[in-house]
Amino acid sequence: MRRLLALVLLLQTLHVGLAEAADKYLVLVVTDPYLEMHSGPGRGFPIVYVIGRDELVTVLYSRTDWFKVRAPHGQEGWVRRSDLSRTLLASGEPAPIPPYPDFASHRWEIGAGYGVYNRENLVTTYADFGLTSSLDVEFVVQQAFGTLDNRYIATIGLRHTFIPEWKWFSPTAGIGTGYQFIQDVVPPAPLQNNNEMAYVSLGARGFITRRFMWRADWRHYVVFNNQNVYEDLEEWKLDLAVFF
Amino acid sequence: MEIRLSSILLVAALLSGCSWFHRGNKGPPEVVAEEPQGEPSIVEPQVTRRVVKTPKIKAKDFEVGAYFGALSIQDFGTNPVYGVRAAYHVSEDIFLEGYVGRSKAGTTSLEDVFPDITVVSNSGRYFTYYDLDVGYNVLPGEIFLGRGRAFNSALYVTVGMGDVKFADKDQFALNFGVGERLLVTDWMAIHLDVRDHIFETDLTGRTKNVDNIEATLGLTFFF
Repeated sequence: MRRLLALVLLLQTLHVGLAEAADKYLVLVVTDPYLEMHSGPGRGFPIVYVIGRDELVTVLYSRTDWFKVRAPHGQEGWVRRSDLSRTLLASGEPAPIPPYPDFASHRWEIGAGYGVYNRENLVTTYADFGLTSSLDVEFVVQQAFGTLDNRYIATIGLRHTFIPEWKWFSPTAGIGTGYQFIQDVVPPAPLQNNNEMAYVSLGARGFITRRFMWRADWRHYVVFNNQNVYEDLEEWKLDLAVFF
Repeated sequence: MEIRLSSILLVAALLSGCSWFHRGNKGPPEVVAEEPQGEPSIVEPQVTRRVVKTPKIKAKDFEVGAYFGALSIQDFGTNPVYGVRAAYHVSEDIFLEGYVGRSKAGTTSLEDVFPDITVVSNSGRYFTYYDLDVGYNVLPGEIFLGRGRAFNSALYVTVGMGDVKFADKDQFALNFGVGERLLVTDWMAIHLDVRDHIFETDLTGRTKNVDNIEATLGLTFFF
């Protein structure tokens, strides 16, 4: 127990040491009558200290909407984003509190969700990079759980958002290509385990809060195989995602 | 008449020729405003403007860690389980979480009573799962340890889905969980979680939904 305690203390000092080593913290000047410091990064945590006007506040790091700060006399606490954004730099310029990425022109999306692929349950994940505000490249990796087989699907495609400025609901369309790997569960085994595919998609996306968004997609796949008739598959899915 | 006309033309040609010679000059030289003599000229500052680089604020919204506990696999007894987890905190209320875990099932009562019967092969007894969750901090607050110490904490609920590989078969699984996060420091947290992995199986004869409840203790770090 004593060893564990020693280890925890050692880790703590190490961490503090590392944090202090990077001594380039942002220092801001309070311009409101006072700046409230909460005991935790949440709206309900009590105010434990206030920093007066014209005093300096050191910003250590942020978590979601809250900033861990240090008062001139060493007291530490959490300050709300909206409060901290009203402080100034020593030069008199407004505090460089990074704003949330603009939903209409964000660059990256990473998300996951549920869907139905070929009438099978589907777990889906995706990453999406915006080439422009309306044209994106999307990478999707998903797993479909069937009674007869288990499929892994990976696709890459282009997606166009028709009106990116529409915040809550904006329609999208896409095309792409991919690959599916079929793992046989119940005999008979499929004639081919690996297929190349192409798809077209129609969908929509919308903003939820902060960095959080939703996306829905319907896709029609054409699965290329070595038989006479190509296989047609349908898929729909709903993703929750974070954008940067 | 003719001489008069040609002399006019000659004069015109001469004039144009003169103007052609003047083409190089750009009019009369501009009058430069000269500083009055005797007064000192303004000194050009020889210093370059200092580029002030404001330090960036580090965001510590990611949480990564590991957990260990017990998983009750329906019909197969309760066994140790371990796994790793990663979370991204979107707001003070919502977080997205993913985890991967593993356990090994014991024997069913049928196998205990009749040792010759095997329901699942030895390699199939591994219970491996991954899950993608969305979580909500329902009851954030502080936990007091004695008079002088308070730890930030949150009771959260999670819902999600993923894959459970059991008996050499991948099944789509839903999962529901409730947990308590206790922040020992602002960058390290202890988690107590109870989660249920629900999926459909026909391993024991008839198709049914099985509940596989796990209770785990975890340690995570924010960065």
